[in-house]
Amino acid sequence: MGVEVVEARPLPLDAAAIGRISERHGEADWLRELRRSWLQRAMETPFPTGQEEEWRRTPLKELPRDGALLEEAAFRPELPDSRLADRGVVFTDLATAARDHPDLVRPYLGVGDGVASHAAFWALSLAGWTGGTFLYVPRGLEVDGTLIARITQPRADATFLPHTLVVADEASSVTLLEELVSPDGAPGWFGGTVAIHALQGARVQYANLQRLGDAVWNVGAQRVDVGPDATVTTLNTQVGSRVTKLGLDLRMSGKGGTSLLLGLLAAGDDQHIDINSLQDLIADHTTSDLLYLSALYDRARAGFYGVTRVEETARQSSSYQECRNLLLSPHAGAEPIPVLEIKTNDLLRCGHGATAGAIDPIQRFYAESRGLDAAEAERMIVRGFFEQVIAKIPVEPVRTTMLAALAERIGHSEAFDEAEAAA
Amino acid sequence: MALPNPALSQLPDNYKYGWHDADAKHLNIAKKGLSAKVVEGISRFKDEPEWMTKLRLKAYRHFEARPMPTWGANLAPIDFQDIYYYIAPTDKAVQSWDDVPDYIRRTYDKLGIPEAEKKYLAGVGGQYDSEVVYHNIRADLEKLGVIFMGTDQALKEYPEMFKEYFGTVIPANDNKLAALNTAVWSGGSFIYVPKGVHVELPLQAYFRINTENMGQFERTLIIADEGSSVHYVEGCTAPTYTTASLHSAVVEIIVKKGARVRYTTIQNWSHNVYNLVTKRAVAYEDAVMEWVDGNLGSRVTMKYPSIYLLGERAHGEVLSIAFAGSDQHQDAGGKIIHAEPNTTSLITSKSISQGTGRTSYRGLIKVYPGCKKAKSTVRCDALILSDEARSDTYPYMEIDEEDVTIGHEATVSKVGSEQLFYLMSRGMTEAEAAAMIVNGFIEPIVKELPMEYAVEMNRLIQLQMEGAVG
Amino acid sequence: MTAMEQAAQVSGFVTVGRASEIAPGTVRVVEIDGRSLCVGLTEDGEWGAIDNVCTHDGGVLGEGELDENAVECPRHGGRFDLFSGRVLALPPVVPVRAYATRTVGDDVQVELDA
Repeated sequence: MGVEVVEARPLPLDAAAIGRISERHGEADWLRELRRSWLQRAMETPFPTGQEEEWRRTPLKELPRDGALLEEAAFRPELPDSRLADRGVVFTDLATAARDHPDLVRPYLGVGDGVASHAAFWALSLAGWTGGTFLYVPRGLEVDGTLIARITQPRADATFLPHTLVVADEASSVTLLEELVSPDGAPGWFGGTVAIHALQGARVQYANLQRLGDAVWNVGAQRVDVGPDATVTTLNTQVGSRVTKLGLDLRMSGKGGTSLLLGLLAAGDDQHIDINSLQDLIADHTTSDLLYLSALYDRARAGFYGVTRVEETARQSSSYQECRNLLLSPHAGAEPIPVLEIKTNDLLRCGHGATAGAIDPIQRFYAESRGLDAAEAERMIVRGFFEQVIAKIPVEPVRTTMLAALAERIGHSEAFDEAEAAA
Repeated sequence: MALPNPALSQLPDNYKYGWHDADAKHLNIAKKGLSAKVVEGISRFKDEPEWMTKLRLKAYRHFEARPMPTWGANLAPIDFQDIYYYIAPTDKAVQSWDDVPDYIRRTYDKLGIPEAEKKYLAGVGGQYDSEVVYHNIRADLEKLGVIFMGTDQALKEYPEMFKEYFGTVIPANDNKLAALNTAVWSGGSFIYVPKGVHVELPLQAYFRINTENMGQFERTLIIADEGSSVHYVEGCTAPTYTTASLHSAVVEIIVKKGARVRYTTIQNWSHNVYNLVTKRAVAYEDAVMEWVDGNLGSRVTMKYPSIYLLGERAHGEVLSIAFAGSDQHQDAGGKIIHAEPNTTSLITSKSISQGTGRTSYRGLIKVYPGCKKAKSTVRCDALILSDEARSDTYPYMEIDEEDVTIGHEATVSKVGSEQLFYLMSRGMTEAEAAAMIVNGFIEPIVKELPMEYAVEMNRLIQLQMEGAVG
Repeated sequence: MTAMEQAAQVSGFVTVGRASEIAPGTVRVVEIDGRSLCVGLTEDGEWGAIDNVCTHDGGVLGEGELDENAVECPRHGGRFDLFSGRVLALPPVVPVRAYATRTVGDDVQVELDA
């Protein structure tokens, strides 16, 4: 089959580049071949045209494409407790894991189609990934505490495509927090992808804090597959980047699976944060809820296009999708679009809700009448607004990390902390 | 389905109104198909002013140039060349029943129109094959200065007012179907209500498609001057035939300061009709505009009644019911644009799908910057009655002003087994219980309909329900 | 600099094109000073200029049609008054900015910063 190059301007990587990456990491043949086949797909998959519902609000033409591809990312996440390694937990960077544990990586890496809305970007990342995390938790093992990984883009003006792969084997349980960091200043392209496989009965909590530089374009994609009776909760917090276009693709293909997609967004200046999600309920007795909250300052804009799709095969499903936007300045804007595509009537529960608007003046009045000035009242109310999500992952250090990052934009509310401490 | 008919006792598939008048003597049948010549011919035949002829031809150019929409329902089966675009059964509108030609009166009789003479009706503009054949404006309305006539006639009798408003709410190039309508429009109602006049009784009209492959392109224009109020009710039926039929209407409404307009539609086209309609209203300061939209028939309906709130404290409401049985797709909803502060809006949508039917809610709430204190609530509930039926919800929101309160809620459900059990334990059959639950579901909207429509609606739903529960 | 050019600088009017190149009853796009304008000449011989971008969905007004004094956007048919920028037909609801226009000889001039 001939290769059809669909982009006039060059892709950020080519066969030579992925060859160099493989060399640098001493990659085995299976991995070299995997990269090559994804490169082929990348060349044959066109970029979104902007006509697609998910991409209409993102000015994709402005994606910075001149940054050199990062062919090596030097960091290595570590297990807090070496005994976990003895019990079979693998937690390291993906390249090392592919080399040292191919039996665990190979069955899951690059399997499936990734995130449908971001097909072109998924393919690029699977072809040219460097850095990223690999986490494997063996059957029946419950990992206490939170595993932490930091994905750092050392130079702002680069193209960086890390891939994180999480596999929670049957009846295991783990919490992973990833932090995405890059410097301010120059524009770059961060195209990180995440794939989570929760096997039967597994419980996974995945938190992602995006604190990329103020000129960076973040085109991210997360794919989650939830097995029978498994539970996956993801929390995505957006604080950084100039433009974020995050695609979430969640497939409930295991009977009895449960999922919860949480999101927090605090944006200001001229940030443009656009998130699209797909919750695809395929098997019987599945549950999938979504709650995304945003606080928008200055001239920030938030878009949200979420699709809940209940297939004919998904009997007795439960789903609720909720997106709430607090507009905190005259020039902020929000476009929340929750979509339902329901192909069966055998539903337990199905609905969605979306709101956008300013802080309720009665709430404000109440706070100010307690002696808080206007600014402090607003901080307290916004902090309280976010609590709906924070309360659903009360795990440390996820909670404190997220709150600290949000406070950079929304400010710190002592009044809220005092009220909480007293309660 | 303009009025309740005691003979309504058959299932909808045995479409009650599935016949067409074989005696129809059509004075001029333009040939099938569409071209600039046909467009010009229509205009010349109607003896229209030059500006209208030019506008029609320009609209036809736009129609040719625009692609069909790629979203919404499947419109591929429509063959624009396989349609008659104009038929005029008589030369002029008449004032009383006695003047209406025989075969048309028979049509109206079968549909129960003689009941239109009952005292609670102010007048009827009836559409028969693209021309308004009959209308009867009561003396008191005429005295008040209310104009209610066919759109063609209004173009002749009130040319300045017509030109001032025509195409200002829905311009020729707004979308492909609006362009088609602007090119070949014929018939429809024109209503003007002077300042401060309140029309107490609903004005009614209805439409029919008669000849096989007859397209219906009526154009309605309603202007409610300051402080006035009027309620217009549109209900329609169509006979069955074997090839696709197209209904592509345009309704423009201007609600001036302090005025109030309600436009109620109960659409029950037979199941081979493509019902693609553009309906839009503008509401100025302190004005109120309400669309009550019932979609029961047609093979495909694509219709999103819209309201542009262009004055402070204007209020807009869309109340929408959609019922899709097997092989039907109701793609409906509402669009409200807040362009001034302190404006409010409410969209309530109730949809029911059964058999292999599909309902889609498609809506938009847009708030422009500077529209402080705008408030909008959208509530969409869908009931799916069968395994194979389908429901979609696509609620768009574009909010560019902070000091607003905008909310949207939707649920999708089936008839609860506990509810059914409870009602059956009280002696109802399963079908009766389900019908009762469904009627309760749509009650908030049905109670806004004129009584005779409410009765008809409930009966229709009941018929649909028989055999539907399982 | 000629006296006319000097006068133009003082008054804020800039030349945007030649009158003889624009047919009556048409509009066209003029890019000047980093701005994009829609400049038109009515059948009655009057010149007008408005911002080129339709406030509804970003259509290019200068590529539309001129019907008496109404500029029709090619995207969805919305209309603006060529002289005042006022909305004459939906779907736009926000007016466009209009500019004072005059001819000096064969030069069509628009007052950019009033």
